[in-house]
Amino acid sequence: MTKVLTVAEMVLRDLARRRTVLGMLFLLPLAFYAARHDQTGQAIRFASLGLGWGASTAGLFSGNSAKTVEPRLRLVGYSSLALLIGRLASLLLVSWAIAGAYFLLIYFDQDIRRPGALALMLMLTALIAVPLGMLIGALVPRDLEGTLLLIGLVGVQMAVDPAKSSSKYLPFWSSREIGTYVVDNVDSGYLTRGLQHGLGMAVGMIVLTGVLTVVRLRRRKHLQSIRQPVAAAMR
Amino acid sequence: MWTSQQPGEPPDRRPPAGMSHGRGNVAAPSPPVRLRASGITKRFGRREVLSGVNLEVHAGEVAAVVGANGAGKSTFLKICAGLISPNSGQVEVQGSIGYCPQAGGTFDFLRPDEHFILFGRGNGLKRDVARSRGREMAAGLGWSPDPKVQARHLSGGTRQKLNVILAVLGGHDILLLDEPYQGFDRGTYTDFWEVIWRLRDTGRTIVVITHMLNAMDRVDQVLDLTPTGSERNR
Repeated sequence: MTKVLTVAEMVLRDLARRRTVLGMLFLLPLAFYAARHDQTGQAIRFASLGLGWGASTAGLFSGNSAKTVEPRLRLVGYSSLALLIGRLASLLLVSWAIAGAYFLLIYFDQDIRRPGALALMLMLTALIAVPLGMLIGALVPRDLEGTLLLIGLVGVQMAVDPAKSSSKYLPFWSSREIGTYVVDNVDSGYLTRGLQHGLGMAVGMIVLTGVLTVVRLRRRKHLQSIRQPVAAAMR
Repeated sequence: MWTSQQPGEPPDRRPPAGMSHGRGNVAAPSPPVRLRASGITKRFGRREVLSGVNLEVHAGEVAAVVGANGAGKSTFLKICAGLISPNSGQVEVQGSIGYCPQAGGTFDFLRPDEHFILFGRGNGLKRDVARSRGREMAAGLGWSPDPKVQARHLSGGTRQKLNVILAVLGGHDILLLDEPYQGFDRGTYTDFWEVIWRLRDTGRTIVVITHMLNAMDRVDQVLDLTPTGSERNR
């Protein structure tokens, strides 16, 4: 636990010193929100997508920047999971802080029928977005490939008709379901479906990122403990 | 393998073969093997960078790995550290490993003290112990870390000092150092080797990649990875 907290602390310190990045993470959802400000439902959904995009990007870059150091940290005694969970926890903390700020903005700015569901929607978006970015970072070798993949994914998410059944395969489908429940007079089925989808996505991506991290930072098979001495041999 | 004195090079001050671990006329037991790499072969695509490389280093020994650019020195060290897999061969170790990469290996936005704590905590050290030990080691390399300066603002040589300290901080049994003194000034370079000799005297096993031929007279063995004959065009 101490090691997880140490990793989380250092990721937070690292992120806190990137003030421009932090500012942009806070402002990105605002741009999306402002673009659809006149339509409450759309404004909420787009603010949520902006939050998700920003948090995913932070997850992607944070994960990639640690790739050269993490093998060293494994050697000095950190487990792969401690490295993953520490990073995930601190990025979630920052993302939830941004979600909290947008909850207050939307709550006071729009006519919201169910504010509790709005808070849940924004927190869930962050919970999906951070592991999504980290997963993409684990899948691709460099930032550029990851950024292009993320742009493509979020672009499709915004362009596709949410009523289509294929849209359920996209990571932020839950925000549309819960968003509808927040604004419109609909039954709780929207909330349930959204929560199930969002939590399933988040858990699935965390598990997949964990597997990829463990594989990448595994102890290689050729490295073994010494069993018996042999005569020195030099090439 | 580098064994004999070449014109213009410093005299060989290594102990004679078979005497390296003995005292007087009474043969002392040989120190234990800490690192043994056997038949290491590594290919990147069709290009073979390492072909059947062997190395055995005992406790209290320093081995230098030399070779031309692209000879596979860094690859060999990464294989010894278990960071990448060879195509064939195996590495046996006894004890924990500290690794200093040629480049990178630190977080740009963290300060030296935070690096000491991060790496020290991994080694099971308390925060204060990790920080004070890191600063102590920095002093040994003639460096007094500014508590407010982030790693990205350190000069190349100072950043490399930080890298070396992070590899040594945990008191590991085996130290794998990949060109650790890039950017060091002459004084720091001397301090660095003093640190290495002190670590050797405490029984540590050290493998250093180096281009500095004047260091060769003070190491216990040299592994030359320079391609020979038909290997030269690989």
